[in-house]
Amino acid sequence: MNATPFHVRSCTLIVRMEGLPSAINLRELRDRVERCSPSCLYHHFVERLLRPTFDDPEFTNDFAAWAYRALGDTVLAERLGVLDPFSADSIEVLRSQVSEILEERLAEADHVPSVDPGKAFYFTCASMAVFDTGMRINEPSEILGALQRMTRASIYFHFVEGRFRRKEEGDDFSAWLRSNGELGERLAASFSGVDVAFFGLRSLRDDLVQRSQRVLEDKAERSQ
Amino acid sequence: MARNIASYRRVVGEESISQLRRLASQLQGRTVVHVNSTRYGGGVAEILEWLTSLMNDLGLQADWEVMEGTPPFFQATKKIHNGLQGFRVDFTASDIQAYDAAAEVNASRLRDKLSGANFVFIHDPQPAALLGSCPARRGKWIWRCHIDASRPHRPVWRWLEPVVSKYDASVFSMPQFARALPHPQFIIAPSIDPLSDKNRFLPESEVEDVARRFRLDPGRPILTQISRFDRFKDPVGVIRAFQMLRVSPRPQLALAGGGAADDPEGAAVLEEVRAGAEGDPDIHILDLPPDSHRAINALQRASHVIIQKSTREGFGLTVTEGMWKSKPVIGGDAGGIRLQVHDFHTGFLVNSPEGAALRIRYLLQHPRLSARMGASAHAFVRDNFLLTRHLREYLTLMLSLERGGTDRMDLP
Repeated sequence: MNATPFHVRSCTLIVRMEGLPSAINLRELRDRVERCSPSCLYHHFVERLLRPTFDDPEFTNDFAAWAYRALGDTVLAERLGVLDPFSADSIEVLRSQVSEILEERLAEADHVPSVDPGKAFYFTCASMAVFDTGMRINEPSEILGALQRMTRASIYFHFVEGRFRRKEEGDDFSAWLRSNGELGERLAASFSGVDVAFFGLRSLRDDLVQRSQRVLEDKAERSQ
Repeated sequence: MARNIASYRRVVGEESISQLRRLASQLQGRTVVHVNSTRYGGGVAEILEWLTSLMNDLGLQADWEVMEGTPPFFQATKKIHNGLQGFRVDFTASDIQAYDAAAEVNASRLRDKLSGANFVFIHDPQPAALLGSCPARRGKWIWRCHIDASRPHRPVWRWLEPVVSKYDASVFSMPQFARALPHPQFIIAPSIDPLSDKNRFLPESEVEDVARRFRLDPGRPILTQISRFDRFKDPVGVIRAFQMLRVSPRPQLALAGGGAADDPEGAAVLEEVRAGAEGDPDIHILDLPPDSHRAINALQRASHVIIQKSTREGFGLTVTEGMWKSKPVIGGDAGGIRLQVHDFHTGFLVNSPEGAALRIRYLLQHPRLSARMGASAHAFVRDNFLLTRHLREYLTLMLSLERGGTDRMDLP
């Protein structure tokens, strides 16, 4: 059993322009995806959840959303939407996947698809401040209350960004839970079933809360 | 009115307030000066009132200064403002002279304070030239552009660009509004104050009283558009949409706005609106005074559907306000409305009076779904467009500038 408590951290984001011109057609999007910074790609795939935007589970990244809403290209939106930044080995691998899909779609088109005025793709990135909230989780059974209290930004930092940082190891909560006995193992196993792509931060929190409740209730029933 | 961050706890929760305090703890004692061109009236003055107050409450030393100027200066800045928004204006050498003269007069009054501050936020183009008059600057200077500067009138931008390029950073409300500049350009969306008269909770009795005062029948659905009588808000299109409705019970339409008295264009639009509504007792044209915040709040709360059928829009805070009151919004597919209105989730985006009529019918036909969309709209605003998020982004921006603009800042 790990005696070290879990330190709940949080983060805040300030979005800034990437410094690239906006893209008004598919060719420009492809060219700029190849030139943009890794943090810009990360922002459009992962950090987007922290921006003031609607939690739209239909689209898993900004490129897919733009392809569907602005370009009206459902095929492209589907191809881009299925990309998984959490399983890509690196941002550069993700970049090559996006580029390949855009290249392929351009080759399939008999003209360069463009968007209506006002619907360009804007390349942005962000600076993030990370800090300790002072909240501590001392044992696995406390995770339910902590999840209910913590901000959406804490959920993002530990569960979404945590998964991106840790890759196979999973999210920050699970990494800690696994070294905290059988209950921790069971909670971590339950969390591993979450596909982050289909949640906004509020619904992600609700899902983690429900999973924790189920595991804790199950444990309580067994011990009776 | 002095604000206190703790009073927002019951709206956004303890942890969000604690998050603001943690961030602000890294900026204790920093001097921040905001400069704009008016103390009263308008969205920027409203923002600066709470922003300054809450920054002080969090331990920063924030101050708010207002440009003083002569009528020629304000005529020039009106042209600059309109020109930045893309209107053709006759921007002359005498305008530039009046603008520069006012900058010099204000700089001599404010130079010491501005030069010594850790952060200076210059709001909109009116005070932008102050930077050039403060060569011994100690802190970071940020140009905060609240308007859509994406398609400016070229002569105005050619003149303003070298002025604002010298800043350390700029802030725009949406990526779509930004101009390419040789420094970091940050994005901070606007917000609403959930405790202001315009947005605070109102007792049902007050909502009913206001509806009665405006001769609205509480037994029939109420559709409301709140906005200036401006062609870009398409009030005539809203009337056309309303007149296409063939539903029972017949709804009522409230078009509430103001600003027509001091705006010749507004007066003309108001006349067109009145002409369009003539003979229909269910269309209520309400030309309200600018301080009708509680009445507008009550009107939005009494409504079943909020409409904002703009054909061109900035961010669209009236949409945010309607959503905060748990109402689905039918919004024009323009500007910041696109950020806020999501089909079948928080309302519907429309492109024509026909589209608006169709979506109104849909929402009236499905009251339970309409209520769910209203709840979703409220949650969306709570998570994204309240002033606590706005303040958090200002604090993060200051930390980012202080620490050299890195992608990641690990705070102690």
